[in-house]
Amino acid sequence: MKYNRTELDKNIGFTSITDEKFKTSHISVRFITKLSAETASANVIATDTLTYSTSSLPALSLLNEKLSSLYGASLSSFSIKKGDIQILGISASCIVNRYAIDGEDIEGEMLDILRESIFSPNAKDGKFDDESFRITKKELLDRIDSEINNKRGYALSRAGEIAFRGEPAQSTSYGTKESADAVTAESAYSAYLNLLKTAPVEITYVAPSENPAVIEMFRKSFSETERIPEKVKFHTASPLKPEVVTESDEFDVRQCKMVMTFKHNCDNIYAVKMLNTIWGETPVSKLFTNVREKMSLCYYCATRVNKYKKTIFVDIGVERNNIEKAKAEILHQLDEIRNGNITDEEMESAKLSLDNALTAVGDTPSSYSGWYFDCLCDNEIITPEECFLKYKSVTKEDIINTAKSLTLDSIYIMYDKEDANNE
Amino acid sequence: MNKNIFTSSKTGDKCVYVKHPSGLDIYICEMDGFSTVEALFGTKYGSINTMFKMRDDKEYTVVPEGIAHFLEHKLFENEDCDVFELYAKTGASGNAYTSFDRTCYLFSCSKNYQESLKILLDFVQKPYFTKASVDKEQGIIGQEIQMTNDNPEWRVFFNMLRCMYHNHPVKIDIAGTIESIAQIDADLLYKCYNTFYNLNNMVLSIAGNVKIDEVLAICDEYLKPCEDKGLETVFPDEPETIVKSEIYEKQPVGTPIFHIGYKCTPCNERERLEKNVAMCIASSLITDASSDMYQRLLKDGTLNSTFGGEIFCGDGYFSVIFAGESSDPVKVRDSIANEIKKISENGIPEKDFQRIKKSMYGAMIRQLNNVEAVASMMLGAHMAGTSPYDMIDMISEMTSDKVLEYIRTELSEDKLVMSVVEETEND
Repeated sequence: MKYNRTELDKNIGFTSITDEKFKTSHISVRFITKLSAETASANVIATDTLTYSTSSLPALSLLNEKLSSLYGASLSSFSIKKGDIQILGISASCIVNRYAIDGEDIEGEMLDILRESIFSPNAKDGKFDDESFRITKKELLDRIDSEINNKRGYALSRAGEIAFRGEPAQSTSYGTKESADAVTAESAYSAYLNLLKTAPVEITYVAPSENPAVIEMFRKSFSETERIPEKVKFHTASPLKPEVVTESDEFDVRQCKMVMTFKHNCDNIYAVKMLNTIWGETPVSKLFTNVREKMSLCYYCATRVNKYKKTIFVDIGVERNNIEKAKAEILHQLDEIRNGNITDEEMESAKLSLDNALTAVGDTPSSYSGWYFDCLCDNEIITPEECFLKYKSVTKEDIINTAKSLTLDSIYIMYDKEDANNE
Repeated sequence: MNKNIFTSSKTGDKCVYVKHPSGLDIYICEMDGFSTVEALFGTKYGSINTMFKMRDDKEYTVVPEGIAHFLEHKLFENEDCDVFELYAKTGASGNAYTSFDRTCYLFSCSKNYQESLKILLDFVQKPYFTKASVDKEQGIIGQEIQMTNDNPEWRVFFNMLRCMYHNHPVKIDIAGTIESIAQIDADLLYKCYNTFYNLNNMVLSIAGNVKIDEVLAICDEYLKPCEDKGLETVFPDEPETIVKSEIYEKQPVGTPIFHIGYKCTPCNERERLEKNVAMCIASSLITDASSDMYQRLLKDGTLNSTFGGEIFCGDGYFSVIFAGESSDPVKVRDSIANEIKKISENGIPEKDFQRIKKSMYGAMIRQLNNVEAVASMMLGAHMAGTSPYDMIDMISEMTSDKVLEYIRTELSEDKLVMSVVEETEND
């Protein structure tokens, strides 16, 4: 594997990773901007519209025909949040030329499509093409409506909204129905021009061999783009609420969901992740072993870290009459860690589990791309091997201190309606 | 042991197949440059295998719904420890799944694969069930069942199968019901285990950063020879007709979600592969973002980008399914039926056919780029009675006439069903 990072311009990074084992070529372009409930939806609709049509392929049917004739090449957009930051991305992926049956230049044509989608979108007179915009906007509205389809995801999203209330991270990565509804073809295009001008940009290229045409395309295209990049900050600890806030909804569901949100002030992220692994991330964690296996209260009970907000979420799907029992056990298992009840086996297995995950980085193009982008967010570019050494240095004492700094901030519960009516 | 090498004529990829003296079929794919290993140890035993007997049995045994899945959960407990504790010592991530026609135990790891493989082969061959451990699992699986009952995608799919199939057990939920799993006890689990976990009914598929000889040496050490006892599974007679043409359920969802499916004639092995590829192309003609129907319904707001197609097939069942979200699923169903009729009458434009074939070929190349996908592909092909790279060859050999023939003979309006999950009315 060969890793190389270049600054094309101020706040435009280009990371090239070549690894000959791959049969595909992937390019991701990430625009990084402050998350805001007011602009999140417009940014998402804008970047989604870029992948719906381009200036020379001005309809989805044409773009799709082209992509499928390139052996099912893909052009897609994504939106994620990391802390108080919104990341809007465009990804292009295709099989490499040596697998073309008819000798096509798949990679060259794909690069052209990507260039057009970013630098020559289907827009004129200060707005996106009406049809592309209209359909893309409806897609987002449908997606927002369908949040409830995934009950676990919905509960986690509501928990984040409660935990980060008053902070940018309160918003989802795509905004609300109201904010999406208010976006116009003009405001979406304006939002995109603003991203092009102000957002720091990170480009990642993962392929079996180098292709100078890729970096040259971006260098040339961005040199013709006016840029006044704004500073962004990924890590912003979320303040602890003065009192634990509990909120709930009722739905016509058979299983209740509970999400407990904890906040901490520990600066050692490696200790936080070790705590997370031991407390509730793996099938030998304290929560899996006790809440699921010993007490039979649930199918899942797991922890997850939001390192950007210094937060840990614990989520469980549970019957209504077992909610308090589950809550008590989750807190009890945290107390066990605070009291130093961590075995050598737990320490060792947590490190092995993390090592296993780290060594797997590089087996897929997306894991390479994600790893090095996350490093940039943390302002620390290290290899997975170097990262593991940091986990290895974490002591029990570090984990105990981290656990002691965890404080319950808020709780979200999704109740089942039927049982509520019976009470 | 003879090592048979399968090679893809299109990509040059290769893997090794061995029929082990223990009775087990083994597939190994060494993938240069990859760090991870994915291993799957599977048995041809899934939720549809509710009625079976051995050669020497007089009567068929009928077992409760959901028992294959229950057995999968319980096999993770050894007499002296939990299997996850063993994997925790190697760093591997262990898991298992039960589907309609198989149960698979798997691990993925990037170090110590040989130790993890020993754990996998050992625990799957060592069942240990007690009343207490069975009772304990009822609560956990009960919550899993409730969780899937709250999943509208799951409900819409099974409701569709219940519209399609009168008797075939593919219509039952993989995990069973709270009531059916209450009938499961340790004796029944042993009965199922001893029937289906015979190595002659199983396959090991391992891919990634492995060495063929190392894998085989561990197999020699850990596999216990099994006598082939002539397992027979039977399915109730299934009429060609559907049960009913539509079903609706209310759940908390956004836009209503739908599954629209054609019940087709089931088939096996090579014929199933051919029909699978042909129907994939047929379904792409409808769901492809460039198709007239999709464009029309996208533009008028009836469909969104969740619309897609799937071929669902196995022993005794085959269906072509269209799924997505729509405020007007009836319009989607009628449009699909009209489009199928139009293609039947007018034929398939060669340009679209070739484009879709290229896209499917590209998807196969992508699959070979991924350790997990390669392990799954080898196992899936074996369980379907085909070879690992047959799918790529079948795609390249497929003709538009063949696809058209399948469309005309199989996609019949009287075998079309629709399942919809729509929003609960709030009080």
